[in-house]
Amino acid sequence: MAEIRRANVMVCRSTGCEASDAVGVFDAMREEIKRRGLDSEIDVVQTGCRGFCAMGPVMDIYPGGIFYCQVQPADVPEIVEETLIKGRVVERLTYKDTETGEPIPIYEDIPFYNKQVRNVLRFCGKVDPQNIDEYIALGGYSALGHALFGMTPEEIIEEVKASGLRGRGGGGFPTGRKWEATRDAPGDVKYVVANGDEGDPGAFMDRSLMEADPHSILEGMIIGAYAIGAHEGFIYVRDEYPLAVKNLRIAIQQAKDYGLLGENILDSGFDFDVKIVRGAGAFVCGESSALMQSLEGKVGEPRPKHFHATERGLWDRPTCLNNVKSWANIPLIISAGADWFTSMGTEGSKGTNTFCLVGKIQNPGLIEVPMGITLREIIYDIGGGIPDGREFKAVQTGGPSGGCIPSDLLDLQVDFDRLTEAGSMMGSGAMVIMDDRTCMVDVARYFLDFLKEESCGKCTPCREGIKSMLTILNRIAEGHGEMADLDALGALAITVQSGSLCGLGKTAPNPVLSTLRYFRDEYVAHIEDHTCPAGVCKALIEYYIDAELCTGCGLCSRKCPQEAISGEKKEAHTIDLDLCIKCGVCFDVCRFDAVGMR
Amino acid sequence: MATLIIDGQTVHAEEGQTILEVARENGIEIPTLCYHPLLETYGACRLCTVEVIRHGRSKLETACTHPAWDGLEIKTHSTDVNEVRKVILGLFLSRCPEVPIIQDLARQYGVTEPPFPPEDLEQKCILCGLCVRVCHELVKADVLNFSQRGIDRQVGPPFLEKTRQCIGCGACTIICPTGAIEIVLEEAAIYGAKPLGPTSAVWVPSMQAVPRVPVIDKDSCIHFRQLDRSEGEIVDACQACQMLCEADAINFDQQDEILELDVGTVIVATGFEMWDPHKLSQYSYGKSPNVITGLEFERLSNSAGISGGEILTAEGDKPERVAIIHCVGSRDHNAHEYCSRFCCMYSLKHAHLVRDKTDAEVYEFYMDMRTFGSGYEEFYERIQKEEGITMVRGRGASVEVLRDGKLRVKGEDADLGELVHVDVDMVVLSSAVEAPHDADQVGSMLGLSRKQDGFFAEAHPKLRPVETNTEGVFLAGAAQGPKDVPDTVGHAGAAASMALALLDKGEVTISPQVAVVDEKLCSACKTCLSLCPYTAISFIDEENVARVNEALCKGCGTCVAACPAGAITARHFTTEQIMAQIEGLFRLPETEEELVEAEVEGVGS
Repeated sequence: MAEIRRANVMVCRSTGCEASDAVGVFDAMREEIKRRGLDSEIDVVQTGCRGFCAMGPVMDIYPGGIFYCQVQPADVPEIVEETLIKGRVVERLTYKDTETGEPIPIYEDIPFYNKQVRNVLRFCGKVDPQNIDEYIALGGYSALGHALFGMTPEEIIEEVKASGLRGRGGGGFPTGRKWEATRDAPGDVKYVVANGDEGDPGAFMDRSLMEADPHSILEGMIIGAYAIGAHEGFIYVRDEYPLAVKNLRIAIQQAKDYGLLGENILDSGFDFDVKIVRGAGAFVCGESSALMQSLEGKVGEPRPKHFHATERGLWDRPTCLNNVKSWANIPLIISAGADWFTSMGTEGSKGTNTFCLVGKIQNPGLIEVPMGITLREIIYDIGGGIPDGREFKAVQTGGPSGGCIPSDLLDLQVDFDRLTEAGSMMGSGAMVIMDDRTCMVDVARYFLDFLKEESCGKCTPCREGIKSMLTILNRIAEGHGEMADLDALGALAITVQSGSLCGLGKTAPNPVLSTLRYFRDEYVAHIEDHTCPAGVCKALIEYYIDAELCTGCGLCSRKCPQEAISGEKKEAHTIDLDLCIKCGVCFDVCRFDAVGMR
Repeated sequence: MATLIIDGQTVHAEEGQTILEVARENGIEIPTLCYHPLLETYGACRLCTVEVIRHGRSKLETACTHPAWDGLEIKTHSTDVNEVRKVILGLFLSRCPEVPIIQDLARQYGVTEPPFPPEDLEQKCILCGLCVRVCHELVKADVLNFSQRGIDRQVGPPFLEKTRQCIGCGACTIICPTGAIEIVLEEAAIYGAKPLGPTSAVWVPSMQAVPRVPVIDKDSCIHFRQLDRSEGEIVDACQACQMLCEADAINFDQQDEILELDVGTVIVATGFEMWDPHKLSQYSYGKSPNVITGLEFERLSNSAGISGGEILTAEGDKPERVAIIHCVGSRDHNAHEYCSRFCCMYSLKHAHLVRDKTDAEVYEFYMDMRTFGSGYEEFYERIQKEEGITMVRGRGASVEVLRDGKLRVKGEDADLGELVHVDVDMVVLSSAVEAPHDADQVGSMLGLSRKQDGFFAEAHPKLRPVETNTEGVFLAGAAQGPKDVPDTVGHAGAAASMALALLDKGEVTISPQVAVVDEKLCSACKTCLSLCPYTAISFIDEENVARVNEALCKGCGTCVAACPAGAITARHFTTEQIMAQIEGLFRLPETEEELVEAEVEGVGS
């Protein structure tokens, strides 16, 4: 018999918050509660990620929904005393409005949250992921029951088709059609696979979901397996997510113990089992055919996909591979219905999607919004805009396979097709926000460098082509570029796109092509003017001191690691450019704005 | 059966075929680098990219992997395709600028210079994976694989260390399109450790072979080596020859058959062997790779040999001076006392070959010149007159290996009456020939005896050169003694004729004076068997008696005398007959007439 306590303290123990000592906070809270003799009245619960990662460690306290952020173990006694015993808010630990500075103690009132529609993420932060009872208590696994006993496999597939759900891994293929193709493929042995090998830099949606709410993925997979006719499933998780692996393992075991997984699920006669397979540090294994090779125990290299995986996938058998977020959408669609799902989103992209906001943004973190919301709303209303008073320049979507969207497209509605039209793609949902101090040539370089490291190396266009494109970009960034290089980049891009074996290679030129499309003038500035307008490419910038503004305080000179700044006290200082390594410390510390960059 | 259009040409494809296979069957060229018909397709080089139009949509795909589905339209050399190939080849050329096949292909597509600065001019590997696949799929040794990722990708054994798993078959070397893999022998063969090109385990031994069909050398054949190494586990390694043979003529399961034949005649043509010059250490055979036997010189000078027929020292250079020494191991109390007969002629021939192929001086040390045959003496005169050849009449006594590797031949010049020496680059020992090492076994099997020189004994040295003491067993060629080709042909022809004559007869007339075993008295002691010089007695196991083969028995009487049981008698030469003759001889004459007869007749006949 579960005990009901008068208050719950929900402490986030996902990886992001743990990095800021959420463990310390959790343990301190438990101890303090015990010390005060309150452990029969107040429960301290570990939860998954709520998404407001820049503010971690976070916790909320129910009843009331009081949200505290950036909590440290030393703050715990005060929280217990003030909030739990006396019912008062500790204002210094609440979120503050960015403009007015006013405290916003209640979770739902925080702009970061109240503009979101947290469907897939509904349980993240609300349940202990290591306790299946909480998931069930909030309605989990009821969709499974409905699917197994109230629907036929064909009806399930029809419902998913009608919902218009498109693959949340980034490809956007209609999930219902994929299920149908797998079901119709000849063969008795079929598989379902969940892709948890999130590799895009800046992406942590899948991680948060797997850590915070593993059961929604499992439930989706069981329903899917039943609809498709598969009896074995795999969750491929990258090895760099140990907490996700751990929570998934616990979830699988607990589901098995309750008869929700394994043989004769809920006495329906349907058998289905799930295994976890860990990756080993290869971005390319997020590509479906490479993932399946890795799952089979072979080297993670893609195969030609003339036959779709739905016909010939794992061990050449029909396989339905979906991203973990796609699977997590399924219980919702089955419980609430396709009509509910289609009521959100745009014509071509239904439902909601999760995004990670990272980069130059006030509120970095994990969000979920309906498809069709504009970039402006995401970045400014939810994300809080660009910090330090800087200007928005571009947002990169889709990771290394995507492209950047400039500021004049801020009112673009976010959905699969619109993003592709603009030269980018949805990808798995990372959004890297850039301000005017970001150099777009450098951005292209960064992504190409990443892909160069992660290319499996099997096919020539990707392996050699990416390296060659990077060589050209490095030349441009160092000031040795020529206009002919831009044509060379274009020619290489076409071959890499059309000649490569897999999606990694085929989409590798996207960052280059999209930055060229929208920010060509920056490239030209690097080549013809030998300048980097954003002030990033070290070879093309130099720091100088404005003699009129310099007060001779000597701060920069003391901070300079190369001792490159000299000058008498109270007299204008100068920078010796031969010694300067362009670290920018002087620029950052000068209180009089006397250090400039050109 | 699928129908598709390639470059405007309508073609048909079987189930499971790829675009590349169908194109090649129909004579349509698509360039490839990482493709091989006997291996799984890999699709890494992307050079075979073609335009595939399906359901109205055009995409660029690799022909080697894409199935030849019904209704496809394919363009193998459209502008887009050529552009992609051009860039790919440019990338290859930047990676491996010195590889001929890449240079050629690149030139075909208009790329003459590497478009990007090459990092490693020595790089030859294009990471096509053919070596990995052949080692895994055919050889089944699994030695090679890729390691590292992306631009650091490389091919090699695990941890790039030498491994015993490698069977040195050379499959990877043959299949590598750029020559990036070499086989290097770790031990010297005849001549040093030169990189050898792989030779096939399926080969026609020589152009003169009869029948001239390929044979599989089980020792180097990957299939058999893997079967052996894995103790029967790996049963299907390679078999590439069988896969390719259109006549289906290859059967790996063939076993040696032991045939039992009943024959009437046997011709022994077991030939000779070369005597081992290591046995006379003063000639330094084995101490320098440049001291070789006459047979080894023959091999060297053969155009199918290791140097393509050129006369080269072990270091690979043309010699400046060559010495040829006669009678090494022959006419020698410390080796063989007999003369090996044909070495003088070939030594003269070798001297001539050296002059013909190099500018080297030749010093020929001989004792006597045995040039006995038709045209032989005339040849000898010709060689004597040939420029650059110095004939030294006197035994070549020793060969010393000098510190700089040169060889000092010391000998006697009998004409000058002096000891002489000469420093040369190569010494050819015209070494002795001898009976094969297993002559004993052959001999005892057939009842043949051997002469003092070790070769099989003929029935009579002058009058019966091809027959032996065993009726029906003949000798042909050098089995009877050293001889050159014309003599061998003559000798063998004689043996063949006599064998045929015997067969032709159908019946033979034999002397009635043969031994016969009284089987009731025979005690099965087998004493007679080993004594019979004509192997005419055999032991019948089932009846436990010895029995004389009357066709073979010459009536010598040895067994008659030896039989301890007295079970063997000589027909028409029985004890009673002999006793009767003796009594007749010593009977006193009864009448005058008998006395006269006895005097005239003499002692019994």
